[in-house]
Amino acid sequence: MIVRMAKIRVLGPRDLLDSVFKALQELGVLELVEPDPGGPVERMGLTEGQRARHRRFHRILADIEACLDSFGHIPHPAFSGPASREDLARWARLARRLRPQVEHLRATAADLEEEEALLLKYRPFLTTFGRLLKSESTWKHAAAYHVVIAREDGHTVPKLREALREVVGEEFELRSEHLPTGEVALLILITSPVAERVEQMLKNARVQDIPVPSSYGAHSLAEAVPRMLERLEQLAGEIAEIEGRIAELAARHRDELARARDAFIDCLSELDALPAAGATRHAFVVEGWAPVEELPRLCARLEREFAPLVVVEEVCRDGPSAAEAPVVLRNPRLVRPFESLLRLLAPPRYGSVDPTPFVAVFFPLFFGLMVGDVAYGLVMIPLALLLRSRTRPGSVFRAVSEVAGVCAASAIVFGILYGEFLGGMGHEWFGMRPLAFNRETALTVFLVVAVALGFIHVVLGLVLGTVSEWRYHRRHALAKGATAAIIVLAAVLLLGVLGFLPKAAILPGAVMLALCLPLLVVTAGFMGIIEILSTMSNVMSYARLMALGTAGVMLADVANELAGAVGLLILGVVVGLFFHTLNFVITVFSPTIHALRLHYVEFFGKFYDPGGRPFRPFARFDQQLGR
Amino acid sequence: MEFAIIALAAAGAISLPALATAWAQSKIGAAGVASLAEKPEISGTVIILLAIPETMAILGFVVAVLILLQGGG
Repeated sequence: MIVRMAKIRVLGPRDLLDSVFKALQELGVLELVEPDPGGPVERMGLTEGQRARHRRFHRILADIEACLDSFGHIPHPAFSGPASREDLARWARLARRLRPQVEHLRATAADLEEEEALLLKYRPFLTTFGRLLKSESTWKHAAAYHVVIAREDGHTVPKLREALREVVGEEFELRSEHLPTGEVALLILITSPVAERVEQMLKNARVQDIPVPSSYGAHSLAEAVPRMLERLEQLAGEIAEIEGRIAELAARHRDELARARDAFIDCLSELDALPAAGATRHAFVVEGWAPVEELPRLCARLEREFAPLVVVEEVCRDGPSAAEAPVVLRNPRLVRPFESLLRLLAPPRYGSVDPTPFVAVFFPLFFGLMVGDVAYGLVMIPLALLLRSRTRPGSVFRAVSEVAGVCAASAIVFGILYGEFLGGMGHEWFGMRPLAFNRETALTVFLVVAVALGFIHVVLGLVLGTVSEWRYHRRHALAKGATAAIIVLAAVLLLGVLGFLPKAAILPGAVMLALCLPLLVVTAGFMGIIEILSTMSNVMSYARLMALGTAGVMLADVANELAGAVGLLILGVVVGLFFHTLNFVITVFSPTIHALRLHYVEFFGKFYDPGGRPFRPFARFDQQLGR
Repeated sequence: MEFAIIALAAAGAISLPALATAWAQSKIGAAGVASLAEKPEISGTVIILLAIPETMAILGFVVAVLILLQGGG
């Protein structure tokens, strides 16, 4: 159901505004609305001091969040009372001091990791050159060139040797080795007098010498390579040491900083909310929406702390302005998870009907009717429990897991009614007998059940639409009521003609139908007639319950047939499992989508008014997170 | 011969709506993916929109079953 809301006004002396705001934030039950621009009070802006405080809080919060991000896992501590000025000042100092330290450590760790990644990437290359470079030591006063040739140019090494011989005769040495990556590492050693000519030749051939990394303090690659390999050994230790220092800082300060973050977010949200208050020279006024059931608590708190200076008055509870009220859905525990199925749509408008209880009945019913297999239901239960165990209470996935649990139970119940366990295996292997009907053979019965359910669902939607519209649009309500009556009377006539109802029902039914038709035309015009046809097609759309259910059981039988056709027991089990898994995925996914669609299009189309906005109370950060 | 005609009628009843559904879903799917790139939060709505043309195939299936049941026995 949609919780009843009331718009209230809090009035008091201007110097109490901060304290009243703090109390309202702690209560967390009032959604603030800005004062009427045409009213006697002006919208309150922030003073220069408050704006400066806002900027400062933002900076501090950025410091805190930077530290917490570096620490990794961010805790959500329980609220332990409002923070004092001293606390805020201490946290600000702590965050300002910690942030550069932590960022420096993170940056250093990132540099070291980058260096390690680079060295690891080039380790095979360095190892290969290490072997080649040992040759350098045999040539005193020689110039060395270190070159890497791409895999596809590997065949050019003999040509290079020829070219060198033409330029410098025999005064060179060329060594080559294949790298694990497929490239070829070359070391060219030449005597100093001919170095210039060789350099020119390599330049003309666009062969580049590998530069000596400057960070290793070496004059040549021969000196640098061993140092680089040695450095690689050291890096792991250095990274571990820095991570250890960050972990130490996190262990010491993380919880405190998390508390500080919550406190500063609360301070900022208080400052952000201030412009929602209106003020005169000496007084303030705050307006907002609160659930009616929370009003006594709100009034008692403000009276206890501020009476007689601050007063609370109710502006409105029902009536035209209540249409602007935010929406809070409150349903019994068993029904509440189904609220998650409404999140794909905007919330229902305040004052309209909350469809959650109806969804909680019909969604599992349709799902079970389509899936209807004991084995598939039994597989769904552990999956739903697993999802439940891994999700936070109140989260969407927790709600989905609970909906899945109810749907699994429904699939099992319908499986028993159909006598199905992995399709027809229930009849053949376990002697299960259909308690209701056999879906594989009684197709007409299944179709009638599906359409009858659709009829009930659509008529229920029309009745809800009539109730919902009655308050504000009586003409629309009458049109919906007439449509519902015509559909029901048409069904009565049809059943009477077919002999399923006594013939005596036909005449009164026809008379009432004749009375309802003009009422529909008067209230909805000729569009009302089209609405009748549309409603009938809506009812027929529920034939999908039968179609998908039949397709599911047929696919399960196909899986059984394929498994049986294999001949070998183990292979048959594997094939059967594979196809049943495939069918399970299809059977679970498709009915979910179609059960949702039947609700959104056929059912909600008759009454759901999605113009609501969710309730966003002015509350502490931990309350907003539902802690 | 009569059964062959009934079977052909049932095949037509399911295959033509299935082709129409496929065509409609290809259009909705392409537009849905483009919309998802802009607004990932509408994924649920897109899935529902994709399921809407399936009504044709499903009703085609129901009609095919009825043809087979009424005609074939």
